Amino acid sequence: VVSTTALVLLFLNISLLNGQSPPGKPEIVKCRSPDKETFTCWWKPGTDGGLPTNYSLTYQREGEKTRYECPDYITSGPNSCFFSQKHTTIWKIYIITVNATNRMGSSASDPLYIDVIYIVEPEPPQNLTLEVKQPKDKKPYLLIKWFPPTVIDVRTGWFTMEYEVRLKPTEADEWEVHFAGQQTHFKVFSLYPGHRYLVQTRCKPDHGYWSKWGLESSIEIPSDFPTKDTTVWIFVAVLSAVICLVMVLAVALKGYSMMTCIFPPVPGPKIKGFDAHLLEKGKSEELLSALGCQDFPPTSDCEDLLVDFLEVYDNEDEQLMPPHSKDYPGQGVKPTHLDPDSDSGHGSYDSHSLLSEKCEDPHAYPSTFHIPEVNEKPENPEENIPCIPDPQSISKEGNGPYFPTDESKSSTWPLPQPGQHIFRSPYHSIADVCKLAGDPAGALASLLDKAEKDILKSSKTFETGGEGKVDEQKEMEDAHSETKQDASWPLLREKAPLIHGKPPDYVAVHKVNQDGVLSLYPKQNENGHQPEKSRAPEGNKEYAKVSGVMESNILVLVPHAQATNMALCEEPAKKAPPSLEQNQSEKDRASLTAASSNCRGPLGVLDYLDPTGFVHSFH
Amino acid sequence: MLLVVWNLLFCQNVHSLPICPSGAANCQVSLRDLFDRVVMLSHYIHSLSSEMFIDFDKRYAQGRGFIAKAINSCHTSSLATPEDKEQAQQIPPEILLKLILSMLYAWNDPLYQLVTEVGGMQEAPDAMLSRAKEIEIQNRRLLEGIEKIVGQVHPGVKENDVFSVWSQLPSLQAADEDSRLFAFYNLLHCLRRDSHKVDNYLKLLKCRIIYDNNC
Repeated sequence: VVSTTALVLLFLNISLLNGQSPPGKPEIVKCRSPDKETFTCWWKPGTDGGLPTNYSLTYQREGEKTRYECPDYITSGPNSCFFSQKHTTIWKIYIITVNATNRMGSSASDPLYIDVIYIVEPEPPQNLTLEVKQPKDKKPYLLIKWFPPTVIDVRTGWFTMEYEVRLKPTEADEWEVHFAGQQTHFKVFSLYPGHRYLVQTRCKPDHGYWSKWGLESSIEIPSDFPTKDTTVWIFVAVLSAVICLVMVLAVALKGYSMMTCIFPPVPGPKIKGFDAHLLEKGKSEELLSALGCQDFPPTSDCEDLLVDFLEVYDNEDEQLMPPHSKDYPGQGVKPTHLDPDSDSGHGSYDSHSLLSEKCEDPHAYPSTFHIPEVNEKPENPEENIPCIPDPQSISKEGNGPYFPTDESKSSTWPLPQPGQHIFRSPYHSIADVCKLAGDPAGALASLLDKAEKDILKSSKTFETGGEGKVDEQKEMEDAHSETKQDASWPLLREKAPLIHGKPPDYVAVHKVNQDGVLSLYPKQNENGHQPEKSRAPEGNKEYAKVSGVMESNILVLVPHAQATNMALCEEPAKKAPPSLEQNQSEKDRASLTAASSNCRGPLGVLDYLDPTGFVHSFH
Repeated sequence: MLLVVWNLLFCQNVHSLPICPSGAANCQVSLRDLFDRVVMLSHYIHSLSSEMFIDFDKRYAQGRGFIAKAINSCHTSSLATPEDKEQAQQIPPEILLKLILSMLYAWNDPLYQLVTEVGGMQEAPDAMLSRAKEIEIQNRRLLEGIEKIVGQVHPGVKENDVFSVWSQLPSLQAADEDSRLFAFYNLLHCLRRDSHKVDNYLKLLKCRIIYDNNC
């Protein structure tokens, strides 16, 4: 026994060394019945183990115990078993297994359970014929006829067949499919004359699988394939031609009036009384009188558009102002770049939004000062003033703002204010505000809180009066600058390439009339020089303190109880040209324009800007 | 619409009670209509049953080997129904009609129970329940139609005495999920098969009786 076992093992080892093994497991791929009377099963061999392998199929039927072998391995090709009528029973489950055997061993497939009625897939229909029929007085059509596959017994009703037809012109990509029911013919009416058509059919038992598409047939549709539709189309074509002709004539004769009716001309911006030539000549008096400005300070009521303190930058390097405007130094538009040691409290103006948006009166600030600057903003990305017009562009214009020396004329520029007002406005420039929009609202709030305190201090300072307070203010400012240099500003600082030697000054806004004309107090030089036109600002100062920020882009202001009434309106630039920091909130804020009625003049006590006023200007 | 048509036919028969031996001209027409309607119903019922079974199989019976257990387990297997074309063509039409009737009667109760139990199953999809209900309704209509046909083709035949009793209700209500699911599977499997049988027999009969084996 031991020796036999050893021999067997040896034999096996030798076989394994030769790479021989029992066969792999075969798999029954599918079984199909073409006519509900016979069926065929196909299998896929597994690995043969390097040896010749025999395959055999065995089956068992529901309700019987006997196991049979496949009656016919040949008829349906290799690796198949054909069950003839004699061996086919309907409505009974067949349990079919394929065995693979070689010298080394055998393996069996998983058994397959099938019922013949559920595996019916017929052959395609046969004898497809095509014929173009053109009966008299009737529409011509293509008649397609076919026959069911040969083996199918439809006549006795054992097999019920349904058909489908598809056709297409030779050059087309998509087939046009039609379901034909149980009939063996089909009529097609909508055909293009002169084209060659391809036709195919297929069929399906009432409960079973579709056959493959049958052989293609083709037919040429004669070119004289008449379609009664042509007369209709001719009529339609003539009618449309007539209509087109009429329309062309109408346009030709009354083209212009029609165009104006359909596309009314868009009025350009115009300021009543504004004369661009005067501006170019540089005569501010004439210009402003042409605008119809009344007595200065203006007493009309553009009270809603106010920026409290406007930084009026006075720097000869900038050459913003022509020499003869010494009286109002620093009235050029100040760039709102930040000094590193200055806090963010740069007030600034935005005359464009001030004036053009809300003040319909031609007393508004000439828009040319600002619009071009705003438009040119993108060209000067180094300027960190997304919301403020570029002062340099003003210089490009070659025109600085001209302030009337005459008090009677309204000035659209902030006037320098007396020394007492030299004060870093805690109210930030539009640019700053715009930038803050990108920052967490808290940064703004914190800044504004500080601003609030600053105002308190400053107002106290003011009330005590005296020019000596300038120093105190300066100290405060320094303190401010230290405390306020928080993280929200470095970016702004980075973007402040233009740092003028002299820190910006502030002027008090006397008031703003409806036209958006700001009446300001003349600025007082730091050295205490009083400009001729200075006046006591007492009683005319207007401050408001910021009590908070709403929705991250609206400053809530309250009039300061101690200070004289003052209204402050935050006015970011109307347009915010793209800047490095541009974001949506910034844009929104930038497009904020002053609410019309919320900002009052000297006596106004409104608290906050009405956001609804801004809504329309968004986007 | 079918209901209306059926009602019309029924009312007509109640009032006029025509005994229509085959060969009478006016009867042939109505017999043709009857067969058309009956074939339409049986086709529809089998489509529904097939969908129900395939749905159930895919959803609940995967990998459970139910098909192996469902061998020889239909309650109607005792009926001597033909099992291929030759047998079906050799059997006389009246007997075939009677066999069909027996099968339909045998399914009355299981269909009713199926609707009740599927309705009770929380996890049963809505489609399954609606199909079960539809099959039950249409099966009753089919029964009436075939009774009419029998009344015309083979009048005077007594009602069938052979009833296949279905006794698998306890399995349908079993606590064990596997047994319960198998009971449903078996029921649906047998329903699918028997509805196919009825459909095929009726189509055969229609071609034989109405079109004289020349469909």
